[in-house]
Amino acid sequence: MASAAVTLPRVMLAAAAVRAAMLALGEWQDAHLEVRYTDVDYLVFSDAAASIAAGGSPFARATYRYSPLLAYLLVPNSLLHPTWGKLLFSAADLLVGLFIDTILKLRGVPDSTRIWSVVAWLFNPFTFTIGTRGNCEPIVCAVILWILICLMNGRVLQASFWYGLIVHFRIYPIIYAIPFVIVLGKNYAGPAGRPILTQWTSKQHLQSDKSSPSVEGATSLLTNLWNFLTSLITRNTILFGLLSGSMFFLWTGVFFYLYGWEFLNEALLYHLSRTDPRHNFSIYFYHIYLHHQQGFSSIQKLASFLPQLIVQLALILRFSRDLPFCLFLQTVAFVAFNKVMTAQYFVWFFCLLPLILPWTTMKLKWKGLACILVWMGSQLHWLMWAYMLEFKGQNVFIPLWAAGLMFLAANIFVMLMVINHHKFTPLFSSSTVKSASKIAAKKE
Amino acid sequence: MAAASGPWLLVVVVAWVLGVAAASSSSSSPGQAGTSQKFNKCMPCSRRYVADSYLDTLIGQLAQHRDLTETSDSADSCKGLDYDLDAPMLTELHSELVGEGSHRRLVYHVEFANCADAMVNFLDNYDANLVVIENLPNGVFADPFELQHFVERKVYLDMAVFGDTNLELPSALSNRSSVEIHVDLAPLASMNCNLVIDLPLHARYPPLDASGYATVEFGSPDLLLRYRKKDTVPESCSWLLKDLDAAPVEKATWRIPCGDEAHIGFVSSITFLSALVCSILIVIAALFY
Repeated sequence: MASAAVTLPRVMLAAAAVRAAMLALGEWQDAHLEVRYTDVDYLVFSDAAASIAAGGSPFARATYRYSPLLAYLLVPNSLLHPTWGKLLFSAADLLVGLFIDTILKLRGVPDSTRIWSVVAWLFNPFTFTIGTRGNCEPIVCAVILWILICLMNGRVLQASFWYGLIVHFRIYPIIYAIPFVIVLGKNYAGPAGRPILTQWTSKQHLQSDKSSPSVEGATSLLTNLWNFLTSLITRNTILFGLLSGSMFFLWTGVFFYLYGWEFLNEALLYHLSRTDPRHNFSIYFYHIYLHHQQGFSSIQKLASFLPQLIVQLALILRFSRDLPFCLFLQTVAFVAFNKVMTAQYFVWFFCLLPLILPWTTMKLKWKGLACILVWMGSQLHWLMWAYMLEFKGQNVFIPLWAAGLMFLAANIFVMLMVINHHKFTPLFSSSTVKSASKIAAKKE
Repeated sequence: MAAASGPWLLVVVVAWVLGVAAASSSSSSPGQAGTSQKFNKCMPCSRRYVADSYLDTLIGQLAQHRDLTETSDSADSCKGLDYDLDAPMLTELHSELVGEGSHRRLVYHVEFANCADAMVNFLDNYDANLVVIENLPNGVFADPFELQHFVERKVYLDMAVFGDTNLELPSALSNRSSVEIHVDLAPLASMNCNLVIDLPLHARYPPLDASGYATVEFGSPDLLLRYRKKDTVPESCSWLLKDLDAAPVEKATWRIPCGDEAHIGFVSSITFLSALVCSILIVIAALFY
């Protein structure tokens, strides 16, 4: 339990101090040591921003593969100071901490639990190094959490504005489209027009909530499917779909107008068709390398896409009403089954992890620790082989590929553990649950 | 001298500069001997690099080197420049590949003769640079952005990469490139006429091979002296270029691990099977939650 000394302002202050220290250390390392602290991508963003500042295109910088918006955000790198972007990303990273607190507060999580969830983000060594090294992912995380906050507060228009923008910015959040539409369906808004959030309560109440899906399961499959599909057509879902779609196409259109095919190829199509034969955490890298000279058949393309699709659909259909939990699982699975996987992608689910911690029955001793050790251990094991290949020049493609398979197994192990210890809690109280809890309250 | 041997010299210059040691499977046979030809030329100061038409050789446009030939020969800019000056001579050049794995450094050790008075006298009167042109073999690349960092830190005057500068493609899908390095010779006398030049290089993923390793072999670099009188006025500014006639260096080789075609069958099937099994596990966990 949290002691009185651990309060949100103190945690935020300490987190800011850690980031400031990392930024300073990074500057020192860049100036004095051969191995840079700054992420190579940060130099790419900065060059692209400098190109914009000089009146050119961000795509004049080779390997700039992001929305021009990012380069615009970093123009002060050229005008003010080169660390501007790192400050911006670290600020976004701190903002994510605040948003985690806001979301958990809205869901009625008590202070003591909330603060440790915030700590799980702010003091995760992965996250604070990624922001201070100049990686833009904290911005994406902050926007995703802000969209959740908007949805929880009934601000559908604002949520769709940000959603369209962030899909343009980073594409991967497109996997959240269906769960967003599902929660915005018929049971979204309560009688007052605002959604009613299910409050965090003790185990017993949650167990009774969990039983509700099996009641629905008694009716026939077809009726269920029909009810499900019709529940998706509401004013809110149509508004969300239209507005976020328009936002996406508006930004994409504007930048296509400004930078032409170079923008479309580099910032959008590249990510959709990306296959990297160079080693990365993905299980597919060696398969891709072995086929890079001859290309890929449609069956191979389908075979690598199918597991990804099946898992996403299964998770969405089963868990979407517990939105933060669904988004977390979707992201872990998306990264685990992706054709390219690098460590920066882990931040995408690290920002969602604190949102599900209050609903897990897993104790840090020992199951939680086991999950952490299995995940970190298999990652370090992979890194050891990658080091042998890249820095020692040894032919270890087979062990490296096997280590990738083990890392996938570790990801699946952690997902199964997390699923089995999670107390399913719909984000929004549906009418059936509301009446059920009313009955339960009366009985008490 | 320049006027008399005009056309022949032109062929030699074009062939040499275009890095005939390079991949060109071209039929321009006079070029093949070009690297070893003695060569004195000049080029306007406005021209930044010597080897920037190398790209053209890679895409096979051998006939289209107007730029270099025009600027280096037919112009009057060479007039009155002293070709027979007693410019520094090279006494030693060797190169070695330093490091392990995919990121290594090609280190050149260069030594000049007459380090005492003659060199000091020459450097007093001339701005002089050593120009190193390395035609990289297929499978290895230099990162232009990394090299720019050297220029920013003033380690070298200038560095540039010509040809295929895509940093991500494997060898099978990429072309060759060449690097040009400019080193300021002003501090040469104080360095005992010894220069050490570092060129960071990176390996591309090689084509598949059953032996497990692909061997990349480096050729010899071209070394040039580029100099001009210190009091040159910008309008008539020309660099004099002198081939330092570097003897071929001992060939550096780089063994790069590569995939084996024999792995295709089981790697692909186990990869897909694992993905399928793992996805089914998640689906079951979701269904029976």
